[in-house]
Amino acid sequence: MDASPAAGSSAAPPRRCVDVLIAEDSRIQAKMLEKRLQDAGHSVRWAIDGAKALEMVGQRRPEIIISDIEMPEMNGYEFCKAVKSDPGLRTIPLILLSSLSDPVDIIRGLEAGADNYVTKPYEPDYLLGRMDSLLASPLSEEAEVVGGDMEVTVAGQKFRVKAGKQQTLNLLVSIFENAVTKNQELITTNQSLSVAKDNLQKSNAELTRMNEQIERSNKRMVRDLHAAAKVQQSLLPASAITVPGSTVAWRYVPCQELAGDFLNFFPLDDEHIGLFVVDVSGHGVPSSLLAVTVGAFLNPKVSDTSILVRPGKDGAGPVVVPPAEVATQLNNLFQADNQAGLYFTMVYAVLHTPTGRVRFVSGGHPPLLHVPKDGELKLIEVEGFPIGFVPDITFDEHSLQLQPGDRLYLYSDGVPEAMSEALDQLGNDRMLEFVGGRRAKSVDDNVADLLQTVQDWCQPKGPLDDVSILGVEWHG
Amino acid sequence: MAIEPYRRIDVSKQGTTEIAKFKDKKILDETALDELRVELLRLINDRQGLDLLLHFGNVEFMSSAVLGLLGQIHRKMGTLKGKLKMCNIHPQIYEVFKLTNLNKLFAIHKDEAEALSKF
Repeated sequence: MDASPAAGSSAAPPRRCVDVLIAEDSRIQAKMLEKRLQDAGHSVRWAIDGAKALEMVGQRRPEIIISDIEMPEMNGYEFCKAVKSDPGLRTIPLILLSSLSDPVDIIRGLEAGADNYVTKPYEPDYLLGRMDSLLASPLSEEAEVVGGDMEVTVAGQKFRVKAGKQQTLNLLVSIFENAVTKNQELITTNQSLSVAKDNLQKSNAELTRMNEQIERSNKRMVRDLHAAAKVQQSLLPASAITVPGSTVAWRYVPCQELAGDFLNFFPLDDEHIGLFVVDVSGHGVPSSLLAVTVGAFLNPKVSDTSILVRPGKDGAGPVVVPPAEVATQLNNLFQADNQAGLYFTMVYAVLHTPTGRVRFVSGGHPPLLHVPKDGELKLIEVEGFPIGFVPDITFDEHSLQLQPGDRLYLYSDGVPEAMSEALDQLGNDRMLEFVGGRRAKSVDDNVADLLQTVQDWCQPKGPLDDVSILGVEWHG
Repeated sequence: MAIEPYRRIDVSKQGTTEIAKFKDKKILDETALDELRVELLRLINDRQGLDLLLHFGNVEFMSSAVLGLLGQIHRKMGTLKGKLKMCNIHPQIYEVFKLTNLNKLFAIHKDEAEALSKF
């Protein structure tokens, strides 16, 4: 490719090394430019402003000047004007570094007599090219000066242009070249933008695809959760179940899909009813899995391995395992360190239906609520660590005598610790007052109303914990 | 250069006792709990033979699952023959300890000075 037409810098003779003067108030800009010019073989002097530059021009005439415009002492236009109006200096080519943000800049440059404009920010090679072409066609000493009277009006401002024809032409050509370069840059930028847009579209399509995948997975998980919740619900007491000599009512509302609470009741034999409420720490899948497992363990099917009812010896009837022993066994089976740190609180009660005697155990669970037919309500607090908390401990059995018509409530902490919007807990006192005031209603109504009270208390967000309530009335 | 390896607790030392002060005001979600678990277990493993004081001064709310973590720490300290105490527990949080009887399992003190004097 050697037959290119003679145009622009491609026709310039090989670069010669010259004495350059830079007028630039930014030390960093000046240093960068100086380095680039020195690399190209030029010798460089630097002045921090126009005044200093003019002084240095006087000391030794440079072969070319590159000047910034915005400078504190004597700006680029003033400096340029000073050089160009000195007959001894006016043939030194002078390049102004301008942002060219305003058409008036061009006229100001012409007025000052500049030979060339280079737009900031510039490519160093472009600036070197401008220098070469200026040095290749120097202004002759005799170049005519237009009578000094050419008046131009731009943006309402009048300017007197003193530059000669060749100088004016050079400047205008440099501006045009500049515009062409900038246009080229714009085209390149546009092309890059176009490529970026394509990539963006591709990424967008990929994102949409991934979103769809997430949505599908999400739907599957929701389906699984619903299925798991159904399994959990299926283990709850059957509504048709009846127990001798008593009425049992219950409500159970998980705060999420799956609950860490669980409750159940069942006849253990002809004379005993077992009732329990379990509350596993935490919420969600791990807690509910443990709750379901514990619930499955606590079933009244008579077997040698059952922890609730064992077959009697020598043909005798089944033997109900004492509640304290049940808690001790569960504690051995479900140590928190083997259950991802999960533990549970539990109350397990056995009601002897012929006598109304209740034997029970509590593993860190909220107190039982005893509601006599007449008389004062009583919270029965007993000691016992949560199940799985401390290895190798035994639990104490407690007992309580019911009178005919008495009721007993087992519940999870979701009841007394129900939190209002103002972060106020429902508390034991309000719970007692509520239950005490409704003794005339059925035990089922009482349980339903208590749940409603908890739900109302937690408006508008609803309970933050699972709510379990199990109530039993002994008829005597 | 000293590196602060813990995000959930501030660790300082008094004699042979490591004091771990919970930074969080609320310890409610699983992530916070898991991070606490990792940091406390690491602290115990790194400083075997020392006693541990858990300082609850900053904690205003915590889920009951935190008690599970405290149980784990309690058992671990037991096997390592170190003593565990707790202090500055907010009254409402102390209610949870009472409800679960854990106030009888853990050595709980009013403040840091009282706890340190009882080791």
